[in-house]
Amino acid sequence: MPKRSVVSVGATLLAASLALSACGSRGGSDNSSTAGGNSSAKVAKIGVIAPLSGDLAALGLGIKNSVDLAIKQANEANAIPGWKLELAAEDDQATADVGKNAATKLAGDKEVIGVVGTLNSSVALQVQPVLASANIVQVSPANTGVSLTKGEDAANPKRPFPTYFRTCTTDAIQGPFAARYLFNSGIKEVATVHDKKAYGQGLVEAFTAEFKNLGGTIVAAETINPDEDKYDAVVSAIKPKAPEAVYYGGEYPQGGPLSQQMKSQGLDVPLMGGDGLFDGKFIELAGSTSEGDMATSVGAPTDSTAAGKTFLDQYKTAGYSDPSAAYGGYAYDAANAIINALKVSLKDAASVEAARPNTVTDLGKVSFDGVTGKVAFDEFGDTTTKVLTVYKVTGGAWKAEKTDEFK
Amino acid sequence: MNFVIPTIPDATRAQHASKGWPLALAGSVLLLVSGLLSWSYDPSILGDISIAFWPATFQLFAMILGVIGIVLALMHQGPLSKLGNWFDAALGLRALGTASLLVILFGLFAISYQAGGLININPGGWVALLGAILLLVGGRFVPQRTLHSFAKAKANSTLEIVVIVVLMALVLFGLAYVLGQDDPWVFVGFLIMAGGAAMALARAGFFTWLSHISQRHRHVLTLAAFAVAFLFPFTQDGSDANMSIATQVLIFAATAIGLNIVVGLAGLLDLGYIAFLGSGAYVAAMMSNAASATIGWKPPFVVVMLIGACVAATLGLIIGSPTLRVSGDYLAIVTLAFGEIFRLSMFNLDGNNGPDLTNGPNGIPGIPDLNLFGFDFGKPHEIAGFTLGRFSNYYFVLLLLIGFIILVFTRLNNSRIGRGWVAIREDERAAEAMGVNTFALKLLGFAVGAFLAGLAGTIKAHQDTASSPDQYIFLESAFLLSAVVLGGMGTVAGVLVGATILKLLPEKLRFFSEYRLLLFGLLLVVMMRVRPEGLIASKRRQLEFHEDDEALASEIQQDHLVEKAAEAAR
Amino acid sequence: METFLQQLINGLTLGSLYALIAVGYTVVYGIVQLINFAHGEVFMIGAFGALATYLLLFQGQTALWILPIMIIGAMVAAVGTAVAMERVAYRPLRNAPRLAPLITAIGISVFLQEFIRLFFDKIPGTNFPSAKAKIPFPQIDVVTGKAFSPLAGVQIQRAAVFTIAMMALSALGLWYFINKTKTGRGMQAVSQDPDTARLMGINVDRIIVAAFAVGAALAGIAGVAQGLQITNINFKMGFIAGLKAFTAAVLGGIGNIQGAVIGGLVLGMAEAMITQYTGMLPDPFGQFGGSSWKDVWAFALLIIVLVFRPQGLLGAKVVDRA
Repeated sequence: MPKRSVVSVGATLLAASLALSACGSRGGSDNSSTAGGNSSAKVAKIGVIAPLSGDLAALGLGIKNSVDLAIKQANEANAIPGWKLELAAEDDQATADVGKNAATKLAGDKEVIGVVGTLNSSVALQVQPVLASANIVQVSPANTGVSLTKGEDAANPKRPFPTYFRTCTTDAIQGPFAARYLFNSGIKEVATVHDKKAYGQGLVEAFTAEFKNLGGTIVAAETINPDEDKYDAVVSAIKPKAPEAVYYGGEYPQGGPLSQQMKSQGLDVPLMGGDGLFDGKFIELAGSTSEGDMATSVGAPTDSTAAGKTFLDQYKTAGYSDPSAAYGGYAYDAANAIINALKVSLKDAASVEAARPNTVTDLGKVSFDGVTGKVAFDEFGDTTTKVLTVYKVTGGAWKAEKTDEFK
Repeated sequence: MNFVIPTIPDATRAQHASKGWPLALAGSVLLLVSGLLSWSYDPSILGDISIAFWPATFQLFAMILGVIGIVLALMHQGPLSKLGNWFDAALGLRALGTASLLVILFGLFAISYQAGGLININPGGWVALLGAILLLVGGRFVPQRTLHSFAKAKANSTLEIVVIVVLMALVLFGLAYVLGQDDPWVFVGFLIMAGGAAMALARAGFFTWLSHISQRHRHVLTLAAFAVAFLFPFTQDGSDANMSIATQVLIFAATAIGLNIVVGLAGLLDLGYIAFLGSGAYVAAMMSNAASATIGWKPPFVVVMLIGACVAATLGLIIGSPTLRVSGDYLAIVTLAFGEIFRLSMFNLDGNNGPDLTNGPNGIPGIPDLNLFGFDFGKPHEIAGFTLGRFSNYYFVLLLLIGFIILVFTRLNNSRIGRGWVAIREDERAAEAMGVNTFALKLLGFAVGAFLAGLAGTIKAHQDTASSPDQYIFLESAFLLSAVVLGGMGTVAGVLVGATILKLLPEKLRFFSEYRLLLFGLLLVVMMRVRPEGLIASKRRQLEFHEDDEALASEIQQDHLVEKAAEAAR
Repeated sequence: METFLQQLINGLTLGSLYALIAVGYTVVYGIVQLINFAHGEVFMIGAFGALATYLLLFQGQTALWILPIMIIGAMVAAVGTAVAMERVAYRPLRNAPRLAPLITAIGISVFLQEFIRLFFDKIPGTNFPSAKAKIPFPQIDVVTGKAFSPLAGVQIQRAAVFTIAMMALSALGLWYFINKTKTGRGMQAVSQDPDTARLMGINVDRIIVAAFAVGAALAGIAGVAQGLQITNINFKMGFIAGLKAFTAAVLGGIGNIQGAVIGGLVLGMAEAMITQYTGMLPDPFGQFGGSSWKDVWAFALLIIVLVFRPQGLLGAKVVDRA
């Protein structure tokens, strides 16, 4: 009896799977007929992986819209003859697992040629391998984690994924930039605090090394748990050491309250941090005592250059409901970098899949003037532009204090 | 499904009994026919239902419901009426009527919502609506017949095996079909249709019959189920998107079955269970070849699996030890605290605060893919002309794992140990008085459950390519517990269903991802009020929640006697 | 010495907050033997209630007289939530197996968090900020200004004084309520023997609602105190606070109101001292100290108490000792 049942199971299931493959045909023929109806151009998609919902949605939607703008402009200018570009945006909810699923979905789409994203370095860690295995280029407008391009071992940098590029500078430059600014403005004793995440810790480590190098002293080094709301313990530990400033590695949801609590407990010195603090929300959370707090951010202020102003105008004219936010310009440049590479790699390619490997090499050679400065990549996939700006809270708003190129 | 429409008084029903059957049959036929007509003016929505004689999506759903309706109606009266002695066609038709109306209304709503107005509905849609209404009204007037008990039915092995196999093939077909749908409207429509059809069949007594025959052909059923699961990747046409979700479902389900030993069988509430999955994952991550792995020793993966599982089991023993003195709600809180301690420890052990083991909040990224006996899990493989991607490779390993876990679960459940657990769950003091070593058994429950979760964790680490503390927050434990509660405590099928619902729906219905947790919370509250024993409950468990249900109690007793008799006959 | 005094004050502040929340767990448990796992969310909703009151009526003002009205707003929101959850979710399950109410509580907890996160900015007729990120809590001149410094090196935040004072006032009020009012005495009776109490003509359902309401009122006050102290609130603030407060309730002996207050203060002190002094231990141990590990030790304490002295420091589940 068991033998016979095995045979019958097998036979029926085989029949079922045959039936399945037969049924699949309707969907397929439908797709081709609708796609064929639109135009004769072949379609290539540029994906976006960013948080489109949740806490960081404002930043993510800015990225998505900016990429959309770049794609529309390229299609209007017929940048790649014979090809039409489309946007394929996926939400990563700022979560690594969700981001990985989004990347898997894009990697499974035969028309995707490149991806702009992600916002978070932690999400990028999981997205990188998925896209790399399909030879899809990824250009991040916002990841500042050093290991994404240089590997885990800082002493012997080794590029983990040849498909990964970014248009923003990294913590390895931002931290020292802040260190020099503080030291040059006469502050010699600083306490550091970070949230133990890749971003915050990397920033503080880079800051500390440069600050000591310049001859300054780190009087206290503390950490906080980002899930917590109260930082008394940290403030109590730092206060007796009497630093002249506190350097914080982390983001504004913790940085704002930290600044507020520091000052209400009598530690009345400025707090400084990286681009994670550079948001209006920081001032709201830190309250009126945040005057004089500082943050560095990558690039020159977008509205300070002519190209940047043009971009902001075009963005406004396009009528997106959300602002381009902190990373809009970088996302726009990232999308244009991919498009520039496609001008070479995709032009004569038979299919998107065939063009993928060439796109990787051609993207490495891209060089043009973008809205955030010159866009070109070094051998690790990092941007060659190293312009940063220090912003200071003045009169309840961020004001650009100093823009400089890091050498 | 009776709660949607008030029941009709018996007297009225008897008066119009003869009109019910033709109405129901006509409704079913109309449903079947409507599938061949055009439903929508707009061809671009819902997978194109504007074509006649080429059914797709909702047209297909209507046809399936129509066929079931015709079969049920003919069972009541007509050529299949012999079957009507066994199956309750009347109850089936009633449930089917409600289900059909829901599906059709949802479909029509989808058309008018997407295409902008009722005007876009073509005659096919209206025919289907008429059919559903006729079926609904007619079904309500079909009188019930007296039934024979399945226990007395003569066994026809070949027929029964064929039924099992066909059913499993249908499951495979349905799975492949629904996962291929990117349109959330179609996806939800299919779920309503499948749920409604299942409800109708359940009402007709089909599943009772099925459980009888599956008891006789348990091996066939298990084998067929695994064959379906095994064939599933081959239906995906080399795409990894669904396989990625499938692997997540399997890991989640494997862990939830482990939890089911602790909660479902032994009745010990554990709110920190995700820690066991986490400890397995962290062990695998620390011993992997990742750049930031912190343990220098790199044994073969099979050894790592065992170590991970043993570490988890040891933690299980530690967390289980308070059960000697603590029980009930207190135990839940102890386990919750333990889960938080685990997460915080993983968060802290980064060299700044404590030894560098886990790389702190950043976790251990870049865990390489598994490579067993020269088989690289990271690369796609060609098998019999089908391309199977990275996730398919993990899927097969996880399938083996879950098979093993189900085996352990069922064997334990049917053993002296399992009966001991159930005794503890029902009344710990009585169990102790009867000579059950309650403490040892409770400890064993924790250790075995944790061991299984640890095994799953080691594979999860490689499949995820990273391991970080945010993957093991309290909410994940709550999800696991709800998979058990939602599906049905103490049953394997229930947990599988629960895990699939909780992991698959959010992925497929991304447009509501914003409301996912809100609905999840609501679901728990509603479930506890409406059906606390879960969707697929073991009957004994069901009785615990409905103590005054005499019918259920006697049914369980009868089943028990039948089982005994069958065993004696063997 | 200054450090010790500073941590003593920090601990007292933290402990007062825990105590205010812990009373809610203990009162409800004393009467229906139910761990109201969603009580932390009641605390969170209290804070949002105060914020909503402020935004609706006094936006931009910082005078002290606003504070009592905000507290009333917090209490109304918290009590409303608690009573509704008792009526809708817990009451139908009163005779169900114990698993059911606990799972319901988890469901309510998740639901309330998400409800605030998603819909706080969508309440019709208002213009509230979205609760998806932290929201700044109103600053009231007298209670959020510069800290006092009675001794060099010791800082007392004004909000801390407010928290401790509210705690003391609430304890007095609670004592009066339990011992001198009819409802309070009814609560004592029901907690000792619900069946006899019912026979004596006490409306047990009403007493249970009263228990939920009393706990929620104090949690609402705690919500305001927390908002003033850390100057921002968010939808997740109830989870850890609730868990800690439950630890405090267990520490003092769950069901015992006096115990909850003492348990709260002890836990707060213990946490402050652990943070300060475990970090100073010699090296293999010192790294397991400091603020990163304080929650781990607090939860370990919870487990140890539950295992070795489940009746808590003061023991026994009776309300009449309060």
